[in-house]
Amino acid sequence: MLNGLNLTNMTNEIIYLKKVWKRYDDIDTGLIDIDLAITKGDFVAVIGPSGCGKSSLLKIIAGLEAPTEGIVKKPERVSLVFQNGALLPWLTVKENVMFGARSILGTEADIEERTMHALSEISIMDLSNKLPRELSGGQRQRIGIARALACNPEVLLLDEPFSALDPKTTETMHRDISTLWEKTGATIIMVTHLIEEAVALANRIIIMKDFKIAGDYSITLSHPRREDGASFGQEVRRIHKEFFADM
Amino acid sequence: MSLSFASILIRMKLPQGGMRHYTHREGQSYPITLSQRLYTTFLAPFFIIALLIILSNSISLFPSSIAGVGDQGIFNYLGAAILATFMRMFVAYVLAVIVAFPLALLVVRVSWAERLLLPIFDIAQSIPVLAFFPMVIIAFTNRGLWDEAAIVVIFLAMIWNIVFNLVSGFKSVPRDIEWAAIVFKLSSWRFFTEVLLPASVPSFVIGSLLAWAQGWNIIIVAEALHLYLPKSNPHDLFGIGSILVSASATGNGALFISAIITMILTIAIIDFLVWQKLLHYAERFKFD
Repeated sequence: MLNGLNLTNMTNEIIYLKKVWKRYDDIDTGLIDIDLAITKGDFVAVIGPSGCGKSSLLKIIAGLEAPTEGIVKKPERVSLVFQNGALLPWLTVKENVMFGARSILGTEADIEERTMHALSEISIMDLSNKLPRELSGGQRQRIGIARALACNPEVLLLDEPFSALDPKTTETMHRDISTLWEKTGATIIMVTHLIEEAVALANRIIIMKDFKIAGDYSITLSHPRREDGASFGQEVRRIHKEFFADM
Repeated sequence: MSLSFASILIRMKLPQGGMRHYTHREGQSYPITLSQRLYTTFLAPFFIIALLIILSNSISLFPSSIAGVGDQGIFNYLGAAILATFMRMFVAYVLAVIVAFPLALLVVRVSWAERLLLPIFDIAQSIPVLAFFPMVIIAFTNRGLWDEAAIVVIFLAMIWNIVFNLVSGFKSVPRDIEWAAIVFKLSSWRFFTEVLLPASVPSFVIGSLLAWAQGWNIIIVAEALHLYLPKSNPHDLFGIGSILVSASATGNGALFISAIITMILTIAIIDFLVWQKLLHYAERFKFD
């Protein structure tokens, strides 16, 4: 749990939020008194019911919104994968990935190299010249991930990235994200509403309820995780129990 | 067994494989509506036959010359007129685009401007163009600026379609895309050129198409200036609009019909060569 967390001595922590509040004009609350520290290389899943503040937390970490109160420290290069890909329909796959790659200063050759590297990392090189509307939902989401990777992010944020995909594609994407995390050692923060998805991917799960952090748990299962395994089921039941406590 | 006329019509047009579709967008299609069936079944053939009858009559009546046309021949005369009209409309359109872009951008990007300008635009676009004519007469025709007067009238007819469609196009950018632009640190200039401008293409094409339609509507007023000027200073601009008015006033039916056909053919050719292609091209800029 976060109680007793020392926020002033964090050599290995890549993101921290101290006493962060967010209030909106139209609704009363977005976030209440959030204290959170995320270690470099963690795969953190943020779960919670709809409207509990998960997306507000992600937007603040991404720099899309400023907190009303509190301190947020985050690295310069934070990248985000959107729920529906958020691709530009008039650009080809390669041009969409370049759109992300250009966010870091560099020569055209650097940008091209980062783009090609991201495309090969996600195994979508063969789709380079296609337009987004010619692709399936899973392929579009892969482009969104490649675009996010093309700017060499220190932190990769995923906003319910698999919620619009069918179960088979979701399973493939889980495997790919898991491999990507192990290979690159990137820090990943994923918002999801599925406990199984959080247990399948993350090594740390944060439960949010009523705009606050209600629980913070480690998942020690080794990767790749077999979703039909007994220990996986145990972890899911443990998180499930915590998730529905006091509800 | 009694079948309604409409159902017979629908069955008649449906192939065995199911509903016919037409498409601008590759891979995505839209069902053909009943009104489109009615149009393609009855109105379009009727229109084409009527046009052919009129065309054949006017050609047989005036094989090489026409009253009031002079020695140059009917085709050269009407060709020069339609070209003059087209150039006037083109200049007005370019001016309308130049003015519309900053106005639409102001409305979309500056919150106070939207609150202030949109109601003003709304009122301005509802005022008929003819209401501006006295001002145009005072400002331009009294100084001998005949072409400028016509261009201003066409400009006023065109601009609001472009402005409102551009505003709608700029606003069509989804929130996710705006956020992606922030995450990927796009400058204002890059956001304008790489996101806003492409996103506005479909609405801009629709706005331009409607603007040209308005322009063709108003061309008669814009070119037939003698109707609005003192008798001591009668003046018309050479163009298809003024030919239509004078032919009608002098009872020159053949010239009138020839001018109408020239205008219809020009509009149809522009539609086929420009607007249909642009509408097809614009599909790729639409967000899902």
